Amino acid sequence: MRRDPTAHDVAELDSAELDSAYVDGVAELSPDERHGVEARLASDPAVRAEHAAVRSLLERVRALPPEGAEPDWMAMARAIRDTVGSDRPRPWWRRWTWRAPLATVVTAAVVLLLVWGRPAPMIRRALPTLERGEHAVPPADGTDDDSVALWLDGAEVDVDPAVAEALVAPFSEDAEASDNHNDNDNDLGLLPTTDLAWVDNLDGEALDRAEHWLAGKKKG
Amino acid sequence: MVSLAAGLPLLERPSRVTIADPDHELAERFRAGERAAFDLIVRRHQKGMWRLVRRYVKRDADAADVTQLAFVRAFRGFSTFRGTATVRSWLYRIAINCALSWLRDHRREQPTELAEGALTDENPAPAQISASDDRAWLRKAIEQLPPKQKLVLELRVFDDLSFKEVAELAECSENTAKVNFHYAVKRLRDILGADHAP
Repeated sequence: MRRDPTAHDVAELDSAELDSAYVDGVAELSPDERHGVEARLASDPAVRAEHAAVRSLLERVRALPPEGAEPDWMAMARAIRDTVGSDRPRPWWRRWTWRAPLATVVTAAVVLLLVWGRPAPMIRRALPTLERGEHAVPPADGTDDDSVALWLDGAEVDVDPAVAEALVAPFSEDAEASDNHNDNDNDLGLLPTTDLAWVDNLDGEALDRAEHWLAGKKKG
Repeated sequence: MVSLAAGLPLLERPSRVTIADPDHELAERFRAGERAAFDLIVRRHQKGMWRLVRRYVKRDADAADVTQLAFVRAFRGFSTFRGTATVRSWLYRIAINCALSWLRDHRREQPTELAEGALTDENPAPAQISASDDRAWLRKAIEQLPPKQKLVLELRVFDDLSFKEVAELAECSENTAKVNFHYAVKRLRDILGADHAP
């Protein structure tokens, strides 16, 4: 089946296609193509007749006068000159059309870098504390008091540092022992130790249990 | 050794046409800022551009306007000309684009130049066909070619472009341009028929 010449590019020409190209542009064929056509011309009268017919048709087409009445060429050249004015060709980097899109892209890139390129301030403040393993307990008033404020049963209670330490120690020890297993704290009945905010979450029963434990500790 | 077809000694022919762009120097001068170089390009190509456009746009004045627009676009977009094609084929590409764009915008305004039925059986016998009838017949036959074959044939025959330039304008390979040319000629002969052969 013959390929459709308009559907895709053609790699090689067959003899008939070469003949047409030869008739109209012998110099535009490669030496091999030309020799092939001329060998057929020399040996086959039908090919010679075909060439003569094609040549005749192309001469008729070429003899067709141009369509329409030609315009005033000087006037057209003048009109073109007037339209473009005295501008000179500008290289692409001096044309303004690309600058606005480029500025937009650069601005967007800078904004994205500012937003996503660094951690949020709150996270940054929290990171050193967490990395040092400190509890996020703010000092009561920023001074070295001999008491520690705990939030117990809905009210702030000042307790002796030793008592506070004893209260927190079991949880801290347990947290240190299972440093990488905080997910299991709830399974053990312990509260997370990285932040004393858990105190706020104690319900009455938990407080009773804590006081009971504390009383037992004192007696012991 | 003598060639049967072309009648030229084989050894004296060039093996392949290499297209040296005759407008290369003008293009460089214009690029360098010489405004007058573009005027020379206009003068050199306005006739060919107009004829090309006129084959699409059927009114003379409209064709002149479209040609003018094509030159203005070429002037403003000259920095995009890379020199991989000839200046002529680059200009012709712009002209074709402008003409097609104009046709899209003025689809309903195009006049029909040839009467309907110019190629029907009611036409006069071949012996009665005058020279002007023959030309009209030939034009009508060309109009009937598929678009790509028509484009290739016209660029080759009316605009005297090389197959390489034709290929650039038709956006295909040089071989494909030659194949389209072959089929255009073949089809034209079929349309015209043996009776209308000279």
